[in-house]
Amino acid sequence: MGTFKTVGENKQAKMKNCICFIGSQLSKQRFLLAMAGAAHGSRQCALTHRYYQQWNWRRTPRGPAGLYTQQLTRRHCQHFSKELLQQESVQRYLEKMIEEYRQVTQRLNNTALTESERRTMSRRQIELSPMATVFQQSQRAVKDLKDVQAIIESAEAGEDTQMLELAKEEQKGIRKLIEALQIKLLQSLVPSDKHDASDVIVEVAAGRTTGGDICQQFTREIFEMYQNFASYKQWAFEVLNYTPAEYGGLHHAAARIAGESVYRHFKYEGGMHRVQRIPEVGLSSRMQRIHTGTMMVIVLPQPDEVDVIIEPKDLRIDTFRSKGAGGQSVNTTDSAVRLVHIPTGITVECQQERSQLQNRETAMRMLRARIYQQLIEKETEQRQSARKLQVGTRSQSERIRTYNFTQDRVTDHRISYVTRDIKEFLSGGELLEELISELLKSAETEALLELVENSRD
Amino acid sequence: MPVQYVIEEWDFRELTLKMRPPVFIPRPETEELVGLVMEELRTRGPAQDSPASLRFLEVGCGSGAVSLSLLHHCPQCHAVAVDRSSEALDLTRENAERLGVLERLQIVQLDVLLDADSVLCQCGSVDFIVSNPPYVFAEDLPLLEPEILWYEDQRSLDGGEGGMDVIKQILCIGTRALKKNGKIFLEVDPRHPLMIQEWLRSQSDHGLEYRETHRDFTGRSRFCVLQKTAPEC
Repeated sequence: MGTFKTVGENKQAKMKNCICFIGSQLSKQRFLLAMAGAAHGSRQCALTHRYYQQWNWRRTPRGPAGLYTQQLTRRHCQHFSKELLQQESVQRYLEKMIEEYRQVTQRLNNTALTESERRTMSRRQIELSPMATVFQQSQRAVKDLKDVQAIIESAEAGEDTQMLELAKEEQKGIRKLIEALQIKLLQSLVPSDKHDASDVIVEVAAGRTTGGDICQQFTREIFEMYQNFASYKQWAFEVLNYTPAEYGGLHHAAARIAGESVYRHFKYEGGMHRVQRIPEVGLSSRMQRIHTGTMMVIVLPQPDEVDVIIEPKDLRIDTFRSKGAGGQSVNTTDSAVRLVHIPTGITVECQQERSQLQNRETAMRMLRARIYQQLIEKETEQRQSARKLQVGTRSQSERIRTYNFTQDRVTDHRISYVTRDIKEFLSGGELLEELISELLKSAETEALLELVENSRD
Repeated sequence: MPVQYVIEEWDFRELTLKMRPPVFIPRPETEELVGLVMEELRTRGPAQDSPASLRFLEVGCGSGAVSLSLLHHCPQCHAVAVDRSSEALDLTRENAERLGVLERLQIVQLDVLLDADSVLCQCGSVDFIVSNPPYVFAEDLPLLEPEILWYEDQRSLDGGEGGMDVIKQILCIGTRALKKNGKIFLEVDPRHPLMIQEWLRSQSDHGLEYRETHRDFTGRSRFCVLQKTAPEC
């Protein structure tokens, strides 16, 4: 290519001023590369092409997004990578977004816009600007990489070892930067869940068994795991409801977890968890056989007061109610409260506190969260999506995770992730965090692909 | 013995208060009385031009539940708590100290039935009056749970015939001690709202107007709100 001749001519100057100088010299070359779009050298272009071809060949014609994901995630790493960014569909989507950003910025600079138009445009601009910034940064980094590669090649040609070393180091640095920027870019494309930053209410409930209390023991262990996880992440953990079962198990419980981005981490914990073990304690331990039990975890984002409006007339409050006039003539310590929301039939009980008013407030909070959850579920049902990690649409009987004590293994079925050392996992520390971050990565990939798919229509 | 006396404490709204026989144990309905007052403070607050602190009077403070909740909730308020029982006032003082609101609380021992004038001297003019006065009808007293009669101070329950003795006295005090537009918040027996309105109609020159009746969580009419409309007497 013509590049090398140009570089060779200005070699002396290059030695002093590395990239910047080269930059100015090769500006024309850079411009051409940028126009090419993919900003890769010829060798890498072929690579992309091959990937694309293979992928094309495997893919079923217009299959649902789920199949897409299966093939992709099976073949490639399940996280954002160069391959993902190099896919034609993703590239096209990215270009579309960049173009939209440019248009919006341009139109905002024009004066002739109505108030509402200006508002929608600026909102869109704000939405797109993080992505645009990262894109510009990555474009710049790619340019710099090209320049460095040119220097390397010229240094090799001229057998200039000093220059070569410097350039190679520079190259390594830029490559790392590009990878980081690409991940950032993909993350900025994925739409974030509007509830990601909310606090949550986590409810656990033991499943039904034909005998023994393996479910209840397991439920207690899972609740404790989440409690430990909350303290590991330095979140506040407030028990709203704790109903133990006989022999030390837990029948059902609820807790409120408050902190930063709690919902984002907890949203994939909801579902049915299955346990397989030979119990050592409790009723079932008499017979040394493998028992299977299940328990449900429900994760509810905490809505703001304005999101869910509950009319007082829609509520029925059941409390201890005395005969006669009540008030001063009765003294009771029964402060349990049950709230029934008549239109939806949702019932919430609370008897944690000694003050009846406190119990009522807690019950209202739980009720609000449940009603909100119903609203969200209705919304998501309508959105047709084949995503495996869609929150809340999994049917009740599908288990999401199995804890096998006899084989010391935890398997998450949605991403086929297996981890060892159950005891460590149940202590709610690093292992659980690892699993959650794998789930998040998988979900983000799926979300991005779905977004890209839907946008091309 | 009531559990609250056994463990010597109980919760009232978000506070934990010490309990000691024979001082009256707060009932759950009274938590709502405090809620009513708080709601009034909330809606009234922004409208006021001067951020001067509010003063209120509580008649029959018992363990101090009502006054202390309000003082805890509203750092600018000052309170005058009145009770005829020295044990009640001691307990109120103790609870106030524990909650750190004692500086804003003035504790006065007197019996409003006997000594209404002293009340006026002591508390001056107040922005509102709140009370959970003894309102059980004298004829109903023997029908109460024995545990209540054995351990709790009967004087904190007995409202005389018709249960209105202390209530009427509070209204008279309100006529003179309240600032213009000041309100009176009462917890009463479900039969009282009508009785109070009737009694007001039979009296003259009280300058009070009956505003609202609120129901408690069991649906019984439990709370009366009155307002002073006439200028200072």
